[in-house]
Amino acid sequence: MKNKRANILEGNIIFIVLNVVFLAILILFLFKQGAGAVILEQAYAKQIALLIDSAEPGMVLKLNMKKVIEVAEKNKIVPDNLVSISDNIVQVKLSERGGYSYSFFNDVKVTLRYEEDLHNDGEKGYVFFIEEKNE
Amino acid sequence: MNKKGLEQVISVYWFAILIIVAGGIFAMVYTFYNSPYDIREVEATFLANKISSCLSENGKLNLELNTDGVFNESFKNNFLDKCSINFDVEKDFEEKNQFYVKINFFKLEDLGDSIFEISEGNKNLESNCEIQEDEEHEKLAKCMEKNFYSLDNKNNQYIIKILSVVRKTEKNVK
Repeated sequence: MKNKRANILEGNIIFIVLNVVFLAILILFLFKQGAGAVILEQAYAKQIALLIDSAEPGMVLKLNMKKVIEVAEKNKIVPDNLVSISDNIVQVKLSERGGYSYSFFNDVKVTLRYEEDLHNDGEKGYVFFIEEKNE
Repeated sequence: MNKKGLEQVISVYWFAILIIVAGGIFAMVYTFYNSPYDIREVEATFLANKISSCLSENGKLNLELNTDGVFNESFKNNFLDKCSINFDVEKDFEEKNQFYVKINFFKLEDLGDSIFEISEGNKNLESNCEIQEDEEHEKLAKCMEKNFYSLDNKNNQYIIKILSVVRKTEKNVK
């Protein structure tokens, strides 16, 4: 009788452990997909392009990019070279081979700077200065 | 079938369900993250907003565009420069120009006939808006329409209709 109960318990434990392992793999997969360099490159390039499109000369835009910078550092990309803008095209590069570019229509001069401490709270990111093109 | 045999069948059946569910989730996530973010509608809205703030400020038409009720042709000819807009940007697309804008000015008392029109960009994209009047198609360009009211310096009243179109299909739709 005791042996039979032990068998049922053992079977249930194995079953639960396998289910937990399965769920953990699934959750890991979901997180990894969402935090992939390719997706982040695209999301941030488009986000920056939209920010610039909606900006007006004289504005200073600060963008918290902590999550992206962590991925870039893992891929040995210097944070200063993460975002570049030339000829109305934003490029975000999170790996040596990768990179995603997207254009903006707002004909303004954009200068950018990487900041280690965006709002005096230790958050890393970029500051974008929007100026008139013929200035 | 004895009880143990039945339990084994149930657990195999349970794992088969788990695998089917996992397969479904993998497929959904793969499809979701593999399709690009479509931001064309927001872009078209921003374009319409930029044009409206260039044409009219504080409810008054830009004096370079309209003085004493007369629309200026040179503003029309240099519209993109005057409004700080650049359509000649990315070269990665099949079609050269990815944008189109059309602005119509109407007198408040006659909304049927446009008294002045400005258009710039790829005119072929305009047909995409007509096709999508009833049903949206992902692969076609996104259209945005904006109407607003403004006065000139002689207090003549106008309704301004802006149609902005953004294509960029290759980078926004899979």
